[in-house]
Amino acid sequence: MPARGPRRALLLLLPAALPTAAVLGAALTVAVLQSTGLMPVVGEPDPTTATYRALAGDRALLDGLRVSLGVAAASTALALAVGLGMALLARTTRLGGRLLRAAAAATVPVPHLVGAAAVGLLLADSGLAARALGAESFPPLVAGPLWVAVVAEYAWKESAFVALVVLAALAAGERELDETAATLGAGPWQRLRRVALPMAAPAAVAAGGVTFAYVLGSYDVAWLLGRSYPEPLPVLAYRLWTDVDLARREQALAVAVVTTALALACLLVTAALLARTARTARAVR
Amino acid sequence: MSTDLVLDGLVRRFGGAAVLDGVDLTVPAGGVVALLGPSGTGKSTVLRLVAGLDTPDAGRVRAGGRDLTGLAPERRGTALVGQRPRLFPHLSVLDNVAFPLAVAGRRRRAARAEAAGHLDLVGLADLAGRRPATLSGGQEQRVALARALAAAPAVLLLDEPFSALDPGVREGMHRLLADLRGAVSPTVLLVTHDRQEAAAVADTVAVLLDGRIAQAAPAGELHTRPASLAVSRFLGGVNEVPGAVERGAHVSALGRLALPCASPDGPGVLVVRQEAVALTGPADGDATGTVTRVTPRGARWRVEVTTPAGPLSAETGPGRTPAPGDAVGLVLPPDQRWVVPQATG
Ligand SMILES: Nc1ncnc2c1ncn2[C@@H]1O[C@H](COP(=O)(O)OP(=O)(O)O)[C@@H](O)[C@H]1O
Ligand SMILES: [Mg+2]
Repeated sequence: MPARGPRRALLLLLPAALPTAAVLGAALTVAVLQSTGLMPVVGEPDPTTATYRALAGDRALLDGLRVSLGVAAASTALALAVGLGMALLARTTRLGGRLLRAAAAATVPVPHLVGAAAVGLLLADSGLAARALGAESFPPLVAGPLWVAVVAEYAWKESAFVALVVLAALAAGERELDETAATLGAGPWQRLRRVALPMAAPAAVAAGGVTFAYVLGSYDVAWLLGRSYPEPLPVLAYRLWTDVDLARREQALAVAVVTTALALACLLVTAALLARTARTARAVR
Repeated sequence: MSTDLVLDGLVRRFGGAAVLDGVDLTVPAGGVVALLGPSGTGKSTVLRLVAGLDTPDAGRVRAGGRDLTGLAPERRGTALVGQRPRLFPHLSVLDNVAFPLAVAGRRRRAARAEAAGHLDLVGLADLAGRRPATLSGGQEQRVALARALAAAPAVLLLDEPFSALDPGVREGMHRLLADLRGAVSPTVLLVTHDRQEAAAVADTVAVLLDGRIAQAAPAGELHTRPASLAVSRFLGGVNEVPGAVERGAHVSALGRLALPCASPDGPGVLVVRQEAVALTGPADGDATGTVTRVTPRGARWRVEVTTPAGPLSAETGPGRTPAPGDAVGLVLPPDQRWVVPQATG
C-alpha cells in the first residue's frame, strides 16, 4: 500500500466522522459539565464531585453496572459464537453463503425495538412459545432474573451483524487458501483452526467490540424485556432524567458519562486487540 | 520419496460439454512432464482432478500404485503450486513453509528448523521472519514452492507457476526447478501454455488438445516429429505441403522429396519446421519461389516465399536477408522432413 494510503482513508472518513464527533463531543461535554456542577441548571457554577461520590455508594448504580456488563458480555459471546459459526458453516457451500448473506442482510436493518416486541410475543409466559409447548409453568424468560429475553434479542440481531462482517472478511480469497491448506495435508479441523479462524479473527474481534459497546449503551430492549430492578445503566439514566426531582438530572448525566466511558474503553480495548492481531505473525502451534 | 503418477481416461464435463475427454498420461517417478495446451483446454482442470479439488466424471488417478480417485485432497500427497502463490497472510514466511509440517503433527521447533532448510533450498533463508505481503512476486512464488516441497509430496503439481513473473525472474525459476530436481528429485506435473518453458523444464511434453493428450514426447521430437497437423500448428509450425507418400518419398507440387524414415504409402502432408529451412540461390534448393514478406522475430527473420506448393517460410539468423520480390531457393534438409496424416473433417 502506498504511504499516503492510510491518510487518504482518514480523509475519506472525515465527512462521516466529523458530525458524529461533534454531536457526541457536545453532548458529552454538557453531560460532564452539568454532572460536575460546572454548568448548573439554576444558580452559580460550583465544581463538585459530589454527584459521582454519591453514585459510587449507590446500590442502584452498582447493580445496574453489574447487569449492564453481564448482559453485554452474554449477548456479545452468544452473538460471536452464533455469527462466527454460521459464517464458517455457510462458506462451505456457495448456496449456504448466499442464503446466510440474505438472511443476515434482512435481519440487520430490523429496529431493535421491533425485534424486542417480537421476542416478547414469542418468549413471554403467555407468549407463543409457552402456548405451543403448553407448559404448566413456563420459565420467566421475559423480565426474569436471568435476562434471557434481552440477551436472546441482542444475540439474534447482533449475530447477523457478526456473520455479515466475518463473511465479508473471509470472502477475500479464504476459499483458495482453504484449498491450498488441503493440498498441503490439512484436514477439515486443521483448516478451521489454522486458516479460517485466524483469518476471521480480526473481523470477529471488531464486530464483538462494536456489539459489546452497543449493547452497553442501548436502552429500548432492556426497558421492554428486562426487570424493573436492577436497571441497566441506560434505563437507570433515563429514569433519573425523567424524575420530578431536578437534582436527579445531575445523577442521570453522571450515569450517562460512566456508560459512555465504559463503551469507549471497550472500543479502545478492541482497537488494541486488532493492532495486536495485525502485528504478530501467528506462530505455528 | 517420489512415485509415478498415472492418469487413466480422465473425463470431466461442465454443463454437458466434456472439457476433458479421456486424458491418459504417465509421469515416471522423479520425472518432469509438462502439460502444454492453449488457454481454456482444461489444463488446470487436470491438476485439480489430480489434487482432489475436483472429481472426474470418469477415469482414475493413481500414484505409486495407490488409487487416489475419491480420496480427500489432504490424503493424496499432491501439493499444488498455482499461478498465484496463495501464501497464508496471517503467517510469517517461515511459518508458511512450516505449515505442512505443523499439520503433519511436527513440534513447532522441529517444524521451523525443517522449514528453514526448505527456505534455504529456494534461496530465501534471509526472509524467514517477513510477512508474505512484503515480498516480491518472484519471492512469493519461491516461498510457495518451498512450502509445497516441505509437504514432501509424492507428486508436485505446478499450474503455470511462473507465468505471472517477469522473463528474467522466470528463467531464474527454471534454473531453481532444475536445481531442486538435483536435490530432492520430486515427480512433477507442470502445466504451462509456454512452449519454451515446457522445453526448458520438462523431460516429456504432453500436448493437450480438444480434451485429449494429442502427443507426449521429448520437446525436440515434438517439434520435428509432430503426430498430427493440429500438434504441428499448435507448436507454431507453418510449413505444410500436401501430397502423398510413395515408396519412401513424398510426392507433391515440389516434386519427389526423399523421406528419412519409412512412412506408409498414401496421402500425407509434409511438414518441415521453418527454423530448419535454409535459403539458397534460386538455381538450387528443393523449392524455388519469390519472397513475399520479411518480418523480424527478435534476432531472427521470418522469410515468406511463394512456391508451386503454396507459401513456405524460413527463419534466418542475423546477416544477409533477402528483400520482398527476390527469387530464392529453399532447402528442406532430408533429416528434417516429416509426414503427418491429412487433417480430417
Ligand atoms: N468449476 C467450473 N465450472 C464450469 N466450467 C469450468 C469450471 N472450471 C473450469 N471450467 C471450464 O473448463 C474449461 C477449462 O478450464 P481450465 O482447466 O481452467 O483451462 P486452462 O487451465 O487450460 O486454461 C474452461 O472452458 C472453463 O470455463
Ligand atoms: Mg489454467
